Amino acid sequence: MMAPAQQDEDYAKDRMPRVEIVESHWSDAQKAEFLRRRRARNFLLLAALGGFCLIIYVIAMVKLHEYGQMW
Amino acid sequence: MSDHVSDFLHDAVSAPDLGAEPKDWLALLKPRVVSLVVFTGAIGLVIAPGHINPLLAAIAIFCIALGAGAAGAINMWYDRDIDSIMRRTTTRPIPAGKIKAGGALGFGIVLAVISVLLLAMATNLCAAGVLAFSIFYYAVIYTIWLKRRTPQNIVIGGGAGAFPAVIGWAAVTGHIGLLPMLLFLIVFFWTPPHFWSLSLYASADYEKAGVPMLPVVKGARHTRWNVFIYTLILFPLALSPWFLGLAGRIYGATAFVLGAAFLYFAWGVLRDEQDAKGVSLSKDAPARAAFKFSILYLFLLFAAIAVDRLV
Repeated sequence: MMAPAQQDEDYAKDRMPRVEIVESHWSDAQKAEFLRRRRARNFLLLAALGGFCLIIYVIAMVKLHEYGQMW
Repeated sequence: MSDHVSDFLHDAVSAPDLGAEPKDWLALLKPRVVSLVVFTGAIGLVIAPGHINPLLAAIAIFCIALGAGAAGAINMWYDRDIDSIMRRTTTRPIPAGKIKAGGALGFGIVLAVISVLLLAMATNLCAAGVLAFSIFYYAVIYTIWLKRRTPQNIVIGGGAGAFPAVIGWAAVTGHIGLLPMLLFLIVFFWTPPHFWSLSLYASADYEKAGVPMLPVVKGARHTRWNVFIYTLILFPLALSPWFLGLAGRIYGATAFVLGAAFLYFAWGVLRDEQDAKGVSLSKDAPARAAFKFSILYLFLLFAAIAVDRLV
């Protein structure tokens, strides 16, 4: 059986290398701004996808209720 | 190299790309243009005979807005070179360096596809087809093909803004009738006097960018005559829904008063104090007034036909 320390080392090797998402020469304020904008974009995308699903759901419900069919 | 220039170059090279904010993506959709499109599309829905579920109607208007926004994003992608030259448009997301050109194009295409598919699902293929054609018309026929080739670009471009009422009508009825076609023609013939009034006092930017706007190519005097002639054509055209029996007295009276007022403003543009080349000596005060009134004209005319139908 493999020793726990060896297991950790192997696991560490298999993991993806850590990716720097911000440039090293950026100031702290710039890094914070970058992360804030990325978070805002992600939330917007999430809202857009959620909205899209909601619209599809509403269309389906209304059409099935009123006409008994989608098309 | 002066300090200013070297500072500028240093900033330009080392300025970090922090990514776009949601409002930059929103700006790609030309929200002000979309608001007019939403209004005319909603009027098309309201005046159409027949019934549509209010939720589906709201989704249809959303799709019309999304499609118009998508066409605007594709327009900004193609026009990024001239947008960076014209003062009015340098702050747009692409020339300002906030969004990459490819990103804007992809955004526009994805939204265009989504808007057409959703409209087809929510209403019918006729409405979705007209929406798809209107996006193609604005993005390809107007923006890519004709805008930089002919001084009549605005006349052709007017068609793009005229589609929403037809789409709204088609969303309810499933076909295109005579009344939405007349509304299409009204917006089509309204666009030249509206836009050329503006271009009389804002053509310097277009000249700098090499866009053949009418005042740049044919001169101010020729443009003034065109503003007046198109307004003259618009007058009976706006009355046509009434004398063809497709709209009532409220619309007829409103169209007559508004048409007469628009002719008065267009006459003012024609008779403005000018030099030998037709350039205004009054800082284009009549053209500015005509431009402002043209917006009010379209808003009230469309509101009148909706009121007429609902009363």
